[in-house]
Amino acid sequence: MFPYDKADWSTVDGPMFMLAGTAWPGIFTAIAAVICVWVLVAGNRSEQAQYKKAEK
Amino acid sequence: MEQQLAELTASVAALKASAGVTNTNFAETFYYLSIPLMIIIHAGFLAYEMGSSRSKNVLSSGVKNILAFAFVIPTFYFVGWWVYWGFPTGLTFSEGPMGISGWAYANSIAWGWGESAAYMGPNIEDQASGVFFGAFAMFAATTASIMSGAVIERIQTVGFIILAVVLGSFAWVVAAAWGWHADGWLVTQWGVHDFGAAGLVHAVAGFFALGVLMHLGPRIGKFNADGTANHIAGHNMPLTVVGLMLIIVGFWGFLMACVIVPGEAFSWFADKQATIYGTPITLSSLAFNILMAIAGGIIGAWIWTKDPFWMMSGALAGIISTASGLDIYYPALAFIIAVSAGMILKPAATWLENRGIDDAVGAVTVHGTIGLYGVVMLGIFGSGFPALAIENTSVLLARYGHVFLLGFVPGLYVAIILKKLGMLRVPATAEVAGLDTVKVPAQGYPEGIAPSGPASS
Repeated sequence: MFPYDKADWSTVDGPMFMLAGTAWPGIFTAIAAVICVWVLVAGNRSEQAQYKKAEK
Repeated sequence: MEQQLAELTASVAALKASAGVTNTNFAETFYYLSIPLMIIIHAGFLAYEMGSSRSKNVLSSGVKNILAFAFVIPTFYFVGWWVYWGFPTGLTFSEGPMGISGWAYANSIAWGWGESAAYMGPNIEDQASGVFFGAFAMFAATTASIMSGAVIERIQTVGFIILAVVLGSFAWVVAAAWGWHADGWLVTQWGVHDFGAAGLVHAVAGFFALGVLMHLGPRIGKFNADGTANHIAGHNMPLTVVGLMLIIVGFWGFLMACVIVPGEAFSWFADKQATIYGTPITLSSLAFNILMAIAGGIIGAWIWTKDPFWMMSGALAGIISTASGLDIYYPALAFIIAVSAGMILKPAATWLENRGIDDAVGAVTVHGTIGLYGVVMLGIFGSGFPALAIENTSVLLARYGHVFLLGFVPGLYVAIILKKLGMLRVPATAEVAGLDTVKVPAQGYPEGIAPSGPASS
C-alpha cells in the first residue's frame, strides 16, 4: 500500500496518490459528490428567492 | 553468423541513437511549447486588469502589464537565472549535494559573458538551457504580474517596473532556489515539497504586493472618512472574466513546465516523468487534479458570492490551493480543498479591505492567502509521505515564514525607497483626471462606451 514503509519513491509502481489503497479515496469522492448536490440545492433556493424578490 | 551479429548490433545502435534523438527533441519541444502557453497567462492578466480598471485608466493599466513582461524577461536573463543556480544552498553559495548549484556552478552556466555565455545563447550541443531559461523567465514574468493587478489606477509606471523586476528577477527566484531546486536547502534539509509553487510563486508574489500596498495607499474614493470601504467597479466585467479564464488556460503551461521529462542527462528517471524534487509524476496527475481544482474553486466561490469575478478568481484559488500537491493528491481531495479555498476567498479579501488595504483585484488574497493555505494543506495531508517525510509543524512554520518574508520584506522596503524618491504614487490630480489622459497617447474608447443598466432592453 502507498505510502510504503520505506520513504523511497523508486519503489512506487502503481497508484501514487495520498491514501491509495485505503477507504479514503472513496470517502473523498462521496464528500465531493455531496458537496455538488448540496451546492445545487442551496443555489436553487437562493435563485428562487431572487426571482420572488424581483416579482414583488 | 558473425556478420549477422555485427549487422544486428549496428542496427540496435542505430535504433538507440534514433530513439535518443526523438527523446531529446521531445524534451526540447515539451518545454518550448510551455512558453507560449504561459504567455497566455499574460494575455489573461492584461485583459483582467484592463477590465478591472475604470475606463479612464484602462490603457495605463495595460501599458503597465506589457512593460512588466518586457522588463522581467531581460532582467531575468541578466541576473535571475544566475540567482536560481547560485542561491540554492543559502548565503554560503556553496555547491549542493546534486552538484548543480553554488557560486562556481552558476558562474559557469548562467552569465551572459565569458565562458558561461556558451550556455546563454544558441548552442548545437545544448538543447536544454534555452527552453529551461524560457520556461523560468515565464515563471518570473508571471510572478511579477501577480503583483500588478493589486496596484492598478494609482501607481507610477517606472516605479512599478522597478518593483516588478525586484519581484520577478530576484525575490521569487531566491524562494525558488531555496525550495524549488534539487539542491535547495529547504528541500534537502526540511523536505519542502511545493510542486506547483503555491508558496514559492503565488504566496511570495501575493505578500510582495501586500508590502507595496501598505505604502502605496488606497485609490482616491476607496475608503470613507469613517474607514468603511466603497466598491470601485472596473469598467468591463466580461473582459475581466475572460482574462481570468485565459490565466487558467496558461496555467496548464506553467504546471506542465514544472515536470522534468525522462531519458535526458538532466532527467531524474529514464522511464518516467518527475517533479523538480525527483519524485515521480504523470501528466495524468495534473489533468485529474487541475480540472477538479478549477471546478471546486468555482463552486466554492459561487456558494457565497454568485459573482462571476469571484467565481473565476475561485478557479484560480482552486488551482493555487492544490498546486503544492498536484502530483500526489487524489482528485476528489483536490476538489474538496479547492471548494474550501473558493469559499474563504471573498471573506479573506473583505477582511483585508476592512484593514484599509485597497487590493484592486484581490491579488493578495487569491495568491498570498490562498497560496499559504495550499502550502499548509499539503503539510497537513502530506505529512509522513515519501519526500515529505520530515514535514512537521516547525517545517510548516518555516515554509510559511520564508514565503511570507521573501515576498513581504522586499515589497515593503522597495516601496518605501520608491516613495521617498517620489516614484511610487501618481499625483492626486492625475489620479482624479485619469491616467490615460495624463500619460497615454492613445484612447481606449474613442467613441465612448454605451451605458447599460436595468432599464435597457
